[in-house]
Amino acid sequence: MTLQPANTGELQTIAHDARARSTPLRLVSRGTWPAGVTGGVVASTSLDLSLFTGIVEYVPGDLTLTAGSATTISEIDAATAAHNQWCPLLPWGDDGGSLGATFATATTGPCARSLGTPRDVAIGVQFVDGTGALARGGGRVVKNVAGFDLTRLMVGSWGTLGAITEISIRLRARPVVDESWTLYFTPGDIAAQSRLAALRRGPLAPLASEILTTAHAAALGFPRASALIRLGGNTAFVAAARAAMREIGRTEPCDTTVWSRYRALDPHPRAVTANAFADPLSRRIKMLFDPAHVWNRFECGTGAEGKS
Amino acid sequence: MPELATTLSHIVGTRYCLTRATELLAYATDALPGNRRRPRLAVMPGTRDETVAVVRALYAAGMPFVPRGAGTGLSGGALADNVVLLGLQRLRQIITIDPESRTATVEPGVVNAALSKAALPFGLHYAPDPSSQTACTIGGNLAENAGGPHCLKYGVTLNHVLAATVVLPNGEIVSLTAPSEETPAYDLLGAFVGSEGCFGVAIDITVRLTPNPEHVHTMLADFSSIDDAARATSAIIAAGILPAALELMDAATIQAVESSIYAAGYPIDAAAVLLVEVDGAADGLDDDVEAVVRICRACGARMVRSASDAIERGRLWQGRKKAFGAMGRLAPHLAVQDAVVPRSQLAPILARMAEIGTRHNVRICNVFHAGDGNLHPNIPYDAGNADESARVHAAMSEIMELCISVGGTITGEHGVGSDKLAYMERMFPGDSLDAMCRLRDAFDPERRANPGKVVPSHRCKEWHAAPGAHT
Ligand SMILES: Cc1cc2nc3c(=O)[nH]c(=O)nc-3n(C[C@H](O)[C@H](O)[C@H](O)COP(=O)(O)OP(=O)(O)OC[C@H]3O[C@@H](n4cnc5c(N)ncnc54)[C@H](O)[C@@H]3O)c2cc1C
Repeated sequence: MTLQPANTGELQTIAHDARARSTPLRLVSRGTWPAGVTGGVVASTSLDLSLFTGIVEYVPGDLTLTAGSATTISEIDAATAAHNQWCPLLPWGDDGGSLGATFATATTGPCARSLGTPRDVAIGVQFVDGTGALARGGGRVVKNVAGFDLTRLMVGSWGTLGAITEISIRLRARPVVDESWTLYFTPGDIAAQSRLAALRRGPLAPLASEILTTAHAAALGFPRASALIRLGGNTAFVAAARAAMREIGRTEPCDTTVWSRYRALDPHPRAVTANAFADPLSRRIKMLFDPAHVWNRFECGTGAEGKS
Repeated sequence: MPELATTLSHIVGTRYCLTRATELLAYATDALPGNRRRPRLAVMPGTRDETVAVVRALYAAGMPFVPRGAGTGLSGGALADNVVLLGLQRLRQIITIDPESRTATVEPGVVNAALSKAALPFGLHYAPDPSSQTACTIGGNLAENAGGPHCLKYGVTLNHVLAATVVLPNGEIVSLTAPSEETPAYDLLGAFVGSEGCFGVAIDITVRLTPNPEHVHTMLADFSSIDDAARATSAIIAAGILPAALELMDAATIQAVESSIYAAGYPIDAAAVLLVEVDGAADGLDDDVEAVVRICRACGARMVRSASDAIERGRLWQGRKKAFGAMGRLAPHLAVQDAVVPRSQLAPILARMAEIGTRHNVRICNVFHAGDGNLHPNIPYDAGNADESARVHAAMSEIMELCISVGGTITGEHGVGSDKLAYMERMFPGDSLDAMCRLRDAFDPERRANPGKVVPSHRCKEWHAAPGAHT
């Protein structure tokens, strides 16, 4: 069975019912997630959140954006690109995936090191939890310490505490120059590897740098490429970074669209494991936010042991 | 009570368990003037083990307590109202600095600036730099999720803390780490950061250290109207430039600073100045400097001057960092606010704040983290003067309402503490406040750590956990 709430009120009713009847719910937003990631959830009822969609507020001058959790990554990308901005997450996976799933699973992407992870980017959330409460943490401004941090609690909670309905995020200006390169060096070349590591740690650090496996390189059409590099900044900065990169090995320019193809390969799969959320403190949180233990019950974890 | 004092004295030594009214006086305030609460007793453990033993003794006695760092907080967060004050300032050991991984593990009482000083030989520093950094502690920073001028580019405390060992109020010891992507877990560390002493006591903290920038360029832009300075701020942010810091000071602040020992050479006839710093790799920095200068001029800056050397840079920053102190000399008390507003709205908000100040006949001094939209409209006043106090109070609550009404928040870095409790109900609906209470209950089901702070107690439903929640 699939339930599809149209608004937070309906979602609250579903949450109350599920709690009262102990009906396990499987949260689905855009449904693009590989089975390996969410397949661990045991539930015959799906909770379809796809109607919580659309950009609620976007003020380019503030570099902040608020959107429904089912809004796709590509929608956010298109809206912000029009103002030369972006949501710096550019997460692993398909861009048809949702903002909500990205934050619920704390999925990062190749630019996370330089531009931030979901916990850095989220500035506020709204959610309905397992008690049926509609709650809000944080807000729409970039700095905020009012109250205990429900935003950090929800980011990475994998839908085990409730459903995120809306998220506010900080954006960044797109770099003036944004160029991508393939980098070639011999697999066992320790010197080249340490030069790449030094570049990543230094003041000319690339926006992204990924060592490619043979399989990923082939899938992208660069059979022998060792690494994928993305340089971003103003003209003088990128020129210096490019020169430093060329010290490492042979380089070839490539189209920036390579990154969405690479992200879609999902090179860093993640999954809930048996001992996730199982420590005593996490179990207490689970009990306080989902007392009936019905939200995204993972076969292998989420403290089934703590169920009352 | 005498029994508890005896137990605690046993743990820490009589010297460090204070019970006399005269001794406790020093702990009756934090840096928020005008608030005074006498602790029942103050206990100052000297080691992490002693701290754990103290927390366990307090648990056994069912006694509420308030952790305290340096007491530089600006929201009344470290005040203990007839409960035990747990002072952590003696825990000032820097346990390790690892230049390779660029991390440090410290005890909570380590002073913020002391950590950066210790990291200096490795070309590193601890990036969050509250203006109180020469006094405040890393433990206090963690508990407040402290910010500072350079957090515009580098991020606040949350973005720099990697792990913490915490003694929960029931004496349990937990290690909280930032979750990694491969192993899903609740972000318990993220939840702890900014919990204002209500979730337990941090006894060691691992933080990220940041390489000192290759180059730093500090500019002072001089404006004949605060409106222009605010517009320049919004324009710099909207243009996509990310300065390391972007601070605004108005005429009242400039005059207070320039007539103090911290005189920094700010133009005393300016209506406002912006202190703008860009840093990073040498390559490309000039372009950012040029863009900042161009935008400031286009918005009406009379002059943009650059610090020519480290000494001048230090002087420009000293004026900013000591501005609160300089204001403090204007009157016996200082009302401090910390609201954040959307950055595109700075100019209209500042204009309306000025109107509020005039109407209530109070003197607002603005000195704030403009790049983040984090306002600090401060009002020097005499709390002994009932009429003036009432006017200050009225002006402050109007300003707060104004900031909330444009989608802002009541505090960007100082915390709610006891000072902003009443505004929490304006900010958040009841269910959100209750959800916050539940998060707290996971850490401190008895609500003994820093009782009565952050969320108004009547907003927390009675203990609604399922049986077994104590396991
Ligand atoms: C002149 C001046 C300028 C300031 N500028 C800034 C600024 O730029 N940015 C900014 O963010 N703040 C600023 N502040 C506020 C203040 O310095 C910060 O909030 C700082 O983080 C407090 O540290 P502290 O050690 O003094 O903590 P305290 O005031 O002692 O305590 C603050 C809170 O932390 C809790 N706490 C302390 N230690 C621990 C621990 N180990 N475990 C758990 N809880 C603990 C306390 O219970 C309390 O709730 C300024 C203050 C002053 C006086």
